[in-house]
Amino acid sequence: MTWPAIRTILDGAVVTAALAAVSILLSLPLGLLLALLREGRIPGVPALLAAFVSLVRATPFVTLVLFVYFVLPAAGLELEPVPAAIVALTLNTAAFSSEIWRSALVTFPRDQREAAAAFGMSERATFIRIVFPQIWRANLGPLVSEVTILLKCTPAVAVIGVVEITRAAGRIGAETYEPLPPFLVATLIYTALIATLVRGQRVVERRIARRFGLARP
Amino acid sequence: MAETDAAISVRGLCKDFDGFEVLRDIDLDLAPGTTTCILGPSGSGKSTFLRCLNWLEEPSAGSVHIDGKPIGRSGNGRATRPMARRELASTRTSIAMVFQHFALWPHLTVLGNVTEAPVHVLGRPKREAEEEGRAILARVGLTEKADVYPHTLSGGQKQRVAISRALAMRPKVILFDEPTSALDPEMVGEVLSVIRELAREGLTMVIVTHEMSFAREIADTIVFMDGGRIREIAAPTDFFTNPQSDRARRFIFRP
Amino acid sequence: MNGLLVVWESRDVFLWGAANTLSLVLGCLLLSIPIGILGAVVLTEAPDPLRRLFAEAVDLLRCVPFLLLAYVVYYGLPELGLRLDPWWAGLMSLTVYTTAYLAEIFRAAFRAVAPDNIEAAHAFGLSRSLIYRRIILPQVAITAAPVIGNQVITTIRDSALLMIITVQELTFAANFVSANHFTPFAPFAAAVGLYLLMSFVVEAGVRRMERVRKGRYG
Repeated sequence: MTWPAIRTILDGAVVTAALAAVSILLSLPLGLLLALLREGRIPGVPALLAAFVSLVRATPFVTLVLFVYFVLPAAGLELEPVPAAIVALTLNTAAFSSEIWRSALVTFPRDQREAAAAFGMSERATFIRIVFPQIWRANLGPLVSEVTILLKCTPAVAVIGVVEITRAAGRIGAETYEPLPPFLVATLIYTALIATLVRGQRVVERRIARRFGLARP
Repeated sequence: MAETDAAISVRGLCKDFDGFEVLRDIDLDLAPGTTTCILGPSGSGKSTFLRCLNWLEEPSAGSVHIDGKPIGRSGNGRATRPMARRELASTRTSIAMVFQHFALWPHLTVLGNVTEAPVHVLGRPKREAEEEGRAILARVGLTEKADVYPHTLSGGQKQRVAISRALAMRPKVILFDEPTSALDPEMVGEVLSVIRELAREGLTMVIVTHEMSFAREIADTIVFMDGGRIREIAAPTDFFTNPQSDRARRFIFRP
Repeated sequence: MNGLLVVWESRDVFLWGAANTLSLVLGCLLLSIPIGILGAVVLTEAPDPLRRLFAEAVDLLRCVPFLLLAYVVYYGLPELGLRLDPWWAGLMSLTVYTTAYLAEIFRAAFRAVAPDNIEAAHAFGLSRSLIYRRIILPQVAITAAPVIGNQVITTIRDSALLMIITVQELTFAANFVSANHFTPFAPFAAAVGLYLLMSFVVEAGVRRMERVRKGRYG
C-alpha cells in the first residue's frame, strides 16, 4: 500500500465523516421535532409520524438510500448523490433518535410539569427551561450511540456513487488488482475513528453523571 | 463434644474483609436435633458467620465441619487445601439455607422452586420430588399455591416457599439468615409458626434473628455475638434472665 | 399500476431475494446466538487477563462498520484459498458482526439476573453449568427478549448491505428489477413492505415473550 493510496482512503474517510457530521446536526433536532409532534395534539399527525418512523426503522439503510436516490425523482425531487446521501442519513437517524426523544418525553416526571404550570409557565417555556435541559443530558448515552450507528451506516452511501471511503478503497483495489489491503486499511482507519468516539462518549457520560448526580431518570 | 458428634463444628474461624476484622476466633459445637439462635447487634458479624457455615463467605482462617465432614477445605491438620467447586457444591447438599429476601427463582413455579435442587442436584426422579414437594407445601400451608409463580405471593408466603425448598433437600442442617427481617409485621407470625413446628420436629437449625421473644421460646442454645466474636453461649432462660457480660446486658435491655 | 405489474411479473426475483435474506439472517442467528452466549460466559467468568482481552476484542468489533467488514471477508476468503459464493462471505461477516453484539447483550442480561438467585443456587449445591442452564439462561431468554428482538431487526437490516458485495438478497432484487424496468417506486416499495413484514414477525415474537414475562415476573 503506497502512501498516495493511503491518502486517497483518508480523504474518503474525511468525506464519510463530513457526511455523517452534517446529518447528525440535522437529524438530532429533527428527531426531537418528530417526537414533539407525535406527542402533540394536531389531529392525524401522530399516527402518520408513527407509521413513518416504523417504516424507516424496519427498512435497511441501503434500501432507504436507493429509495431516496431512485424514487424521489419520480415525485419531482431529483437529487445529486451527495444531497441524496445526506437526506437518507438524516431521515434514518431522525427516525431512530425520535424514539429516544419520545421515550424521554413520555417518562418525564409529571409533577415537574405540573409545578411549572402551577407557577404560570407556558408549555413552551416549560419545555425550553425545564424539560429539554434535563432530557438531553439524561439521554446523552443513547443519543451518542445513535450517532455511532449513523457513522457505521454511512459507508453504505457508496451504492449511489458517493465517493467516500468505501469507493476510495474499491478504486484502489481495482487499480492494483489487490482489493484486500485497501479495504483492510479503510476498516482500520474507520474503526479507529468510531472507537475514539465511543471512548470519548464514555468519558463524557461519566463526567456528566458526576456533575448532575444520577443522570438517568 | 468431639467433632464427629456435633452436627456443626467450627474451629478457629476468622474472617477479614479489606483489612477489617469481621470475625475472630470462633469456636462452636452444635448438637444434632437442636435449634440454635444467634443474636447480636447489627454489625456483630452474625450473618457473615452464618454464611461461612456453608462457605458462601470464605473464612480467612479456621474450619467448619458439618456432621463430621469438612466444608470448604479438605484434608487434615496442616495439609488442607481449598475444595474444588464441584466438591464444594456436593457438600452443600446437606446444608440448606433460607435467605432474608427469599431468593426464590422467579422463572419457576413454587413447586418448580421446591423440586429444582432435589431433581437436578440430587438426581431424584421428578415424579417423586414433586410428590414430596407437594407434601411439604401442604405442611407449611401452601397446597393451593404449588403451581403459581412466586411474584404473586406475599412476603410471608414467599418465605414459607423458601423454607419448603430447604426442607425438600432433606438436609442435615438448615441455616436461617434473618428469616423474618424483610417481612411486614403481620406476616412474621406465619413464618415463625412454621419454624416453631420444625424445631418441635427435631431438625437441626441455626437461626440468625432479631426476634428475641421467639428465640427465647424455641432455642435450645443462644449464641450471642458482638464485634465479631462469640461473647456468650447459654440456654435461653439463663441468657435472658442472667446475662454474663456487659455487652449482652446492653443488648437485651436496649436492643 | 405499471409498477405493480412489474413487481408481480418479477415476483420470483423478489421471492429469491427474500429467501436469501431470510436464510442469511436465520443462518446467522443459529450460529451467533450460541456463540454469543459462550462469549458472554467468557466475558463474565474468564480469569482476568483473558477476559479483558476478550472484552477489548468485542468492543473493537462493535466499532467496525459492517459494510467494510463484509468487504474484508469477501476479498479475504479467496486469499485463504476459499472460492465461495458471495452468500457465504455474507453469512460469515454477518455472523461475526452479530456475535459481537449478542455477546455484549447476553453479558448485560446475565448481570441483570438478581444476584440472590445465583447465591441461592450456589447454596443449594447447583454446579456452575447447572446455574447457567437452569437459572440464568431461562431468565435471560425472557427478560432480554426485547433487546434481542431489536438485534434481530438490526441483523435483517444489515443483511441488505450484502447486496453491495453481490449477494442476491432482497434489496439486490429490488434494485435489479428497478434498474431493468425503469419503475423505481414499486420494486423498492415491495422490498420495504417485505422488510416491514419481517419486522412485524419479530416484534410479535417479542410481544409474546413480554406476555410470558408478565406471567412469571408480574
